[in-house]
Amino acid sequence: MQVTRGYRVFQAVNAVVLTLVVIVTLYPFVNVVARSLSQEAYIRAGQVSLVPRGFNLHTYKLVMADEMFWANYRNTVFYTVVATAVAITLTTCYAYVLSKKQLRGRSALVGIAVFTMFFSGGLIPNYILVTSLGLKNSVWAIALPNAISVFNLLVMKAFFESMPTELEEAAAVDGLDTYRILWRIVLPLSKAMIATMVLFYAVAFWNSWFSAFLYMDQSDLFPVTVYLRNLIAGATGAGSVGAADADLQTAANIQAVTIVLTVVPILLVYPFVQRYFVSGVMLGAVKG
Amino acid sequence: MSVPGTLDPPRSTPEVGKPPPIPAPPLRPRRLTWRRALRRDWQLYSLAVLPLLFFAVFRYLPMIGNVIAFRKFQPGGNPLGEYWVGLRYVEMFLNDPTFWNVFTNTLILGVLSLVVCFPLPIVLALLFNELTSRRLKRFVQSVSYLPHFLSVVIVAAMVMQLLSVDGTVNQVVRAFGGDPIPFLQQPEWFRTIYVSSEAWQTVGWGTILYLAALTTIDSDLYEAARIDGAGRWRQTWHVTLPGIRPTMITLLILNIGTFMAVGFEKILLLYNPLTYPTGDVISTYLFRMGVLSNSFSYAAAIGLFEAVIGLTLVLAANLIARRAVGTSLW
Amino acid sequence: MATRSRRRVAAFAAALLAVSLAGCTGDEPTSDDLSGNRVGAMADYGVNSQFKATEALNFSILYNNHPNYPLKNEWLFWSELTARTGVTLTPTAVPLSDYEQKRSLLIGAGDAPLIIPKTYPGQETPFVASGSILPVSDYLDLMPNLKDKIAKWNLQPDIDQLRQLDGKFYLLPGLHENVWTDYSLGVRTDILAQLNLTVPKTWDEVYTMLKAMKAAYPNQYPMSDRWSKPTPGGSLFNYMSQAFSTNGGWGYRNDYWDASAKKFVFTGATDGYKQMVTYLNKLVKEGLLDPESFTQDDDTAIQKLATGKSFVISANAQELVNKYRPTMAATQPKATMVKIPQPTGPAGEVKAGSRLENGVMISKKARESKNFVAMMQFIDWLYYSDAGQEFAKWGVPGTTYSKDASGKFTLAPDVDYVKLNPTATKHLQKDFGFGNGVFAYGGTTQLLQSTFSAEELEYQKAMDARKILPVPPPHPYEDAEAEQATLWETPLKDHVAQMTLKFILGQRDLSEWDAYVAELKAKNMDAYIELVNKAYDRFAKQRG
Repeated sequence: MQVTRGYRVFQAVNAVVLTLVVIVTLYPFVNVVARSLSQEAYIRAGQVSLVPRGFNLHTYKLVMADEMFWANYRNTVFYTVVATAVAITLTTCYAYVLSKKQLRGRSALVGIAVFTMFFSGGLIPNYILVTSLGLKNSVWAIALPNAISVFNLLVMKAFFESMPTELEEAAAVDGLDTYRILWRIVLPLSKAMIATMVLFYAVAFWNSWFSAFLYMDQSDLFPVTVYLRNLIAGATGAGSVGAADADLQTAANIQAVTIVLTVVPILLVYPFVQRYFVSGVMLGAVKG
Repeated sequence: MSVPGTLDPPRSTPEVGKPPPIPAPPLRPRRLTWRRALRRDWQLYSLAVLPLLFFAVFRYLPMIGNVIAFRKFQPGGNPLGEYWVGLRYVEMFLNDPTFWNVFTNTLILGVLSLVVCFPLPIVLALLFNELTSRRLKRFVQSVSYLPHFLSVVIVAAMVMQLLSVDGTVNQVVRAFGGDPIPFLQQPEWFRTIYVSSEAWQTVGWGTILYLAALTTIDSDLYEAARIDGAGRWRQTWHVTLPGIRPTMITLLILNIGTFMAVGFEKILLLYNPLTYPTGDVISTYLFRMGVLSNSFSYAAAIGLFEAVIGLTLVLAANLIARRAVGTSLW
Repeated sequence: MATRSRRRVAAFAAALLAVSLAGCTGDEPTSDDLSGNRVGAMADYGVNSQFKATEALNFSILYNNHPNYPLKNEWLFWSELTARTGVTLTPTAVPLSDYEQKRSLLIGAGDAPLIIPKTYPGQETPFVASGSILPVSDYLDLMPNLKDKIAKWNLQPDIDQLRQLDGKFYLLPGLHENVWTDYSLGVRTDILAQLNLTVPKTWDEVYTMLKAMKAAYPNQYPMSDRWSKPTPGGSLFNYMSQAFSTNGGWGYRNDYWDASAKKFVFTGATDGYKQMVTYLNKLVKEGLLDPESFTQDDDTAIQKLATGKSFVISANAQELVNKYRPTMAATQPKATMVKIPQPTGPAGEVKAGSRLENGVMISKKARESKNFVAMMQFIDWLYYSDAGQEFAKWGVPGTTYSKDASGKFTLAPDVDYVKLNPTATKHLQKDFGFGNGVFAYGGTTQLLQSTFSAEELEYQKAMDARKILPVPPPHPYEDAEAEQATLWETPLKDHVAQMTLKFILGQRDLSEWDAYVAELKAKNMDAYIELVNKAYDRFAKQRG
């Protein structure tokens, strides 16, 4: 097919714009990595930008030598996997139901979900609820109360609605019931959206700390986010007014280290997820 | 414009402005009686049971706690409040002139964020989509997500360094012969600063949803469009955008409903008394009042007020979307 | 699943009901008959006696888990405590980062441990009305060491500040023998030497010093300050304000106690406050103080110091040693810096501050326990007896430290603490659990200063020579007043904060001061101060 001149110009402009996007977004992250590897004095002096100065792994060693850090890291992985699995299951089921326009009572079902975006209970009722359900100090205290994000639910519903319906109809004619249609026809076609939702939920659970902080009573049950949050608070001296706490208040790079340690696993997992978008996108497949 | 309703979904004819993947909307299915609906769709309903149970137990049950907006709550006392005070807390904030200032600020910041941060991910997703090299595309996408993972504290620190009198921005200003501007001390700059940092942090991550939505577009549609002689631009306009329209509309409505929830932590880090006139929002005001920790009742009353506004906005946006483009949450 | 959930839901409803019922019964007067609560208590417990429970006891405690010395069950602290007192503590570990929120939640949900430490004066007030915490002032007779220290150190006025509307207080505060100040100006002494200047004693001399620095380095601001997030000038205004007979920064309160007139006045409208603002405005106007001081973050300010763009900055003992000096050492090896005694001003040689530290709340549930008396004796011994304080801070003689005849403490050679033994292999806090912020604070000046460096001791000596300003009297509000006061206080405080900066930075001319006071009046300043004085008068009369 003919490539117009306008399109070439567009491609060039696009390349420039995206290069800018890359620079603007990549710089801070490289900076964080550099800070995490630098000596504190150089960071404080504002001399660390892209390359570490006074290269050392001290803070990494400090953090990673702590058994509690690894215990909490394992908790994070476990909580994230369980909570994401629960969330994906419930969200997919409900979103699929809501996407069926002919369904009686559909508006009410959507309304029930949307209403909770705006109205919620306070902290104390939630705490009493989770406590009296006996969920405290277990993974369910994290997974169950956050099982459906209405935002994700509605995005997924919109996705299901925009899927072509012929295949489903054909499958129904062939005598498949709803469960099998969902499992064998719809889900395989929705890999990109499922991947997105897994990513959204997993990142949210990975980064979350509040539920765990509320519902876990012992430090060996905390996820690593609570651990790191506490570490930063200690390093910046928040709350340590007494002379007895006047020790070890250093490490400007602790924050950088914590960011690297929490983000890296996500970045490692991300390419596996991304495959699902890239392969699905059509425009790129059209020869330019 | 649209083809008069056929029961068949529109076959891949790239009709102008026609949203291809949506089943023809105009014919409303006849209302079923509940009994018939249940008999026909019981399997669908059964899928909704667990989610509904979730909403009932973990969302609606704790909501009774909101009653403290109308009852005096004492920390450590009855979680449902001690005694009725009627609308006292509502009157308290309605009569507080400062509340209305921060309310207006919240609205303005919310609207600006919406106007800037809603369309940008769409544009960026389309730009990504136009990249021909897959490896490059993958790289650019991955990089654009990074800001999402930076903590607010880091982002705020970067903003402050960029905008300080010796900072990069002022060096550019000086290079053009201007006088350095103490951006962070001037109320008229606060909104720009907040919204741009917000855009920087959210836009890349926001593209993910659109990229996923792009995958559902039937490639036959592009084929047909090309055969009809549509160029790249027209393909985007007539195939791509309609294809992701349900996602766009959903996100737009959701964003409209939640735009009162501006970033508390970021504002707290970026504002100072000099920028209170534009930067102070409801949540930061409540924070300074110590309400977040102590007066749960007052906070609950304001929370309900915000919720009512949010719900009204969503309902309105939904109605408008349904009337105007035929796509909506309901 | 469905039926189980229904049962759970019923349990939730029942729990809500139970907590609400508990809330209702909270108002009944507690009988002061303690005969049923003496199990495990000592009959002859008194000042300086070693507390030892007559049978093994166990108390739950909320534990503020510090990341630098995370809680370990095998700490010597726990085992030695049990050996000495017969009490085992069961901690609920809460991360330091969000301790207050969890504490508030646990008390709110009726789920709190019996002993709730790390509570700063004033933080107990929200829980008073619901009756969920114990009015400890009713039980001081069980705590001889506490009473002894209050009398010996003349702390009654400080303690009175804690009193609530009912005349009782609900917090067992940490007690200091003397007012302890830490924050002051850090000054580059090599620059002073270079310019033949001496360490400034007053704020006027600070001005002269900055002026001389500016003359030598005309292209930079000699002073650029930090601790401005989230409160602008949080530290600087705080220690500076006492010199001008006012308060500010972190210590800003709308009500200032005018000791001579015996009434409260509005801080932001006092002459002292105006003088302080005028002084700072002069510094900014003449280019001596960086205008960004009040809006920049700490790292930016330290960066300016480290790169030699500024020479003067607010400091405390730790920041000086842990941040300023190492940072400068890496970038300007010749730089030296000290923390100077707080400069004085029109108010003369005074120091303001509280001798109350964070302390302990007791859950109301404890009163019902048969071990209640023993628990109060235990708390008295651990937190208020000399022996208990020494134990919590220094540990076990011979194992972690030794003490000579003159009372000088020395760490054991293999134990480190605040870098006193940098080469030691073990750490007093991390490996033994002593010097723990949950248990060790306050006490005699000797104990407090036992871990200070020589230079810090010198600073403290200079500060100790100053006269301590009297503490303002309490003015507890009634419920409706408290809500009204909050609504007035925040806009007033905001306006003062905003205009303080505008005046200092020259964005508003000081000739408009009267207009500013009129604006405060429009924001109910007079009504507010009237409310404060009314509450003060009422409470003063009530207490006789």
